[in-house]
Amino acid sequence: MIACSTAAVDETRALGGAVAAVVDTGDVVVLVGDLGAGKTAFVQGFAATLGVTAPVTSPTFTLANRYEGRLVVNHLDVYRFDCPEEVNDLALPELLDDGVTLVEWGDTISSALGAEHLSVTIRFGAGDNDRSFELCSHGESWQRRADRLSAALEPWVSPC
Amino acid sequence: MLILGIESATGRVGCAIGGHEGVRASVQATRERRHAELLAPQIQAACANADVSLRDLGAVAVDVGPGLYTGLRVGVTTAITMAHALRVPMVAVSSLDLVAYPLRHAGRTITVMIDARRGEVFLARYGCLPGGVQRLSDPEVAAPDHVVSQILASDDETLVVGDGAVLYASMLDPLRGVELADPGFAHPSAESLVLLAHALAMREEFVRPDEIQPLYLRRPDAQVPRPTR
Repeated sequence: MIACSTAAVDETRALGGAVAAVVDTGDVVVLVGDLGAGKTAFVQGFAATLGVTAPVTSPTFTLANRYEGRLVVNHLDVYRFDCPEEVNDLALPELLDDGVTLVEWGDTISSALGAEHLSVTIRFGAGDNDRSFELCSHGESWQRRADRLSAALEPWVSPC
Repeated sequence: MLILGIESATGRVGCAIGGHEGVRASVQATRERRHAELLAPQIQAACANADVSLRDLGAVAVDVGPGLYTGLRVGVTTAITMAHALRVPMVAVSSLDLVAYPLRHAGRTITVMIDARRGEVFLARYGCLPGGVQRLSDPEVAAPDHVVSQILASDDETLVVGDGAVLYASMLDPLRGVELADPGFAHPSAESLVLLAHALAMREEFVRPDEIQPLYLRRPDAQVPRPTR
């Protein structure tokens, strides 16, 4: 587990961008955090690093947005899912193979996302713009990249 | 009875029209992610080629998977909508059955593997009977290694077929007693669908449009979303 903190939305974007530097097609990043925590800001920075120039917005009502950059970025939001069967509507197996996938509120469908993923939990901090991050690697491919990920996140790592 | 068969479970999409005399017309294309734009014109073309009006159709058959959901939802939705509009019954056939059916004269065990993405395949085993195939195992989703060990564990001469078999050919090819079917058989075909559906329709094995459910095999056993929302 890597703990990080940011003090501004731009920093959250930069942190997302740093994570994007270690991803490849087929990767899944699960984002957890209350409304306004900065999940979409994280994705904006992430997508920018991968060369996405289109504006990145929250896909709460569209379920899935797809951006073409250096890699394909799939941005999902499963907040409004009412029943597990709705996961089928995402056509996940095809989506996940196709690009890098970020899933907001993805913890609710984690079994459908598979064992290999990075989970990012965002919490509100003391100040209005303070946020704390917990990044947990799940599965072999993320464990292998643990060192590269820590190095990329160096500027934001919280003192223990 | 004239049947329209709609098939879209894999990278191929197509339709066929036929009845007791066999297949009258079929239109198919193997182009990933083009299902939505290709299917309706294909149905029009098949009707024109067969000189059939939609009003002449007695049933609509559809491949309900397992397969790629991006394709399945196009085919299944189109088929249900047409059956509703035409007020005709439907026939549901599995993609795995459709891939096995053209190899019914192979005279040995057939293992069908359809690419499920994420490093897995949908699979089922079949035996050959006079005039058809019989499923020997329930459809399942598994990693290709599982298929290899399943084949190794059985002494049967096995023919493996499907786009999953093509994808994982290098794992299957070295196995003793295993032959890979020609890649031309890799996808379920709308023609097989019409032939199989006609036999089912003769036995009145119909389903109502509202009973048609795509076969996913992967259970979405997701947790119920947080109640606090």
